[in-house]
Amino acid sequence: MNVIEINNLTKTYGKARGITDISFHVEQGEIFGFIGPNGAGKSTTIRTLLSLIYPTSGSATIFGKDCVQAAPEIKKEIGYLPSEVFYYDNMKVKDLLKYSASFYKKDCNKRIKELAEIMDLDLNKKIDDLSLGNKKKVGIVQGLLHEPKLIILDEPTSGLDPLMQQKFFELLEEENKKGATILFSSHILSEVQRLCNRVAIIKEGKIVTVEKISTLQENNYKKFKIETKTQLDRNYFNISGVNNLEVNNNVTSFIFKGNINDVMKKIAATEIANLWIEEPDLEEIFMHYYEKEV
Amino acid sequence: MNIFLKELKSHRKSLIFWSIGVFFMVASGMAKFEAFSSSGQSINTMMADLPKSLKVVLGMSDLDLSMASGYYGMLFLYLLLMATIHAAMLGATIIAKEERDKTAEFLFTKPVARTTIITAKLLAAFVNIVIFNLVTLVSSILLMGKYSHGEDVAGEIAVLMMGMFILQILFMVIGSALAAVKRKPKTAASQATAILLLTYGLAVAVDLNEHLKGLKYLTPFKYFEAKNVMYGGGLETSFVVLSAVLIGVLAFATFFFYKKRDLNL
Repeated sequence: MNVIEINNLTKTYGKARGITDISFHVEQGEIFGFIGPNGAGKSTTIRTLLSLIYPTSGSATIFGKDCVQAAPEIKKEIGYLPSEVFYYDNMKVKDLLKYSASFYKKDCNKRIKELAEIMDLDLNKKIDDLSLGNKKKVGIVQGLLHEPKLIILDEPTSGLDPLMQQKFFELLEEENKKGATILFSSHILSEVQRLCNRVAIIKEGKIVTVEKISTLQENNYKKFKIETKTQLDRNYFNISGVNNLEVNNNVTSFIFKGNINDVMKKIAATEIANLWIEEPDLEEIFMHYYEKEV
Repeated sequence: MNIFLKELKSHRKSLIFWSIGVFFMVASGMAKFEAFSSSGQSINTMMADLPKSLKVVLGMSDLDLSMASGYYGMLFLYLLLMATIHAAMLGATIIAKEERDKTAEFLFTKPVARTTIITAKLLAAFVNIVIFNLVTLVSSILLMGKYSHGEDVAGEIAVLMMGMFILQILFMVIGSALAAVKRKPKTAASQATAILLLTYGLAVAVDLNEHLKGLKYLTPFKYFEAKNVMYGGGLETSFVVLSAVLIGVLAFATFFFYKKRDLNL
């Protein structure tokens, strides 16, 4: 079953670009990455899903229900962490979390204590005395305290130190094992690579591709680095499938996607001094996705 | 219910300050009356020399200022201004503040409909306005009792407060409707206050110029004036109906537009 289904979703704000014709789905039980640079439309998509803003055209369903018509009902099972957390300043952390819990018809006290312990959060402090990182922790506890079936995270790691990020990821993996579906938006590839099963790449308001992380990484791409006795001509590797070609004195490097024999023949025809063939990391693939349409 | 209680709590401090303010307004006003009336000189003869425009602006035309009730009628204008400014700002802020303080992403991702949130907020604002009105009523009756030299004024005050209450609600929904319609709700409170001052200015202009009489329907400050309401005049039915219609339309607009609008995040 698909927990989230987005069909041709478009949102425009006057002249400013929003998102155009976005379609993808998130399956039950997966951790789905949503990645793109700042301003690509990640937050716009998420806010439309949460009906904070309404679609210009197209539609989306969550748990099989329309995200605008059934908004209050589906939000019972959604936990949301916004990219920037702002809360009522004059409240204590404890009071804010209780207020948040009061919207769900279940007792969340035990879970609040557990989560605060894991995230090392002082419940008795006033919110306006908290640092950015600690506010983010309040956001995390606030988003998870009602044990939602769908967790939506918009750039959740900004402000968290590496140790806390680690704990937070473990927490998410645990929730995921318990059955929660997670939509994880980010512009940092390594964290998506670490956590997600599938990923949608968004650029300038449009989805570029939706793929499995493993597909992105393993099947298609190889990173070549060739050291030759003499400098190669830039056009020597001018065959289809070669990207990000760089020639640096005697070292030539590129990312290749396609029939590997074609490259091997080209390489075999030259006098080489050394050769590296590696799996590219997601970062490089990602750059490639962005550059090829420039 | 949780939103309603939260709103009551977050507006408690401001309501206390406004209440203290309105109490001192009545107290200082009536203390001045005491000073006037005990000086032996009739206020009326003194006031007769003032130019008409000044009397209109100060709200003292056509009232017998030598009587406690007449003096209160003048004071009422200032109480009314305070009460409506409070109401207009409250109505606008209570709706707009989630977007202003960026807490909208918290509240509006909870499993409640927008209409439920607006209902809770307007109810909380309504309670604040009732309390403001009662504080004014009680302070007025207590302090007038002290200065009125036996003149029975409680009934007059009660009718004036009814009129004030209707206008408070009217300005509250003017504020909330502005906050609901506007794309930048932050400015709703200042705009509501601007509308208030504009309509007040219009009321003064109508008083000064006979030809503008027809415009009295456009300014709520002409609806329930002390000189008409007191001494058995009561609230004029046409203005009560007009107020009710305006309140209904603006309350509906608040819900209608806020439900359909993109939140300003």
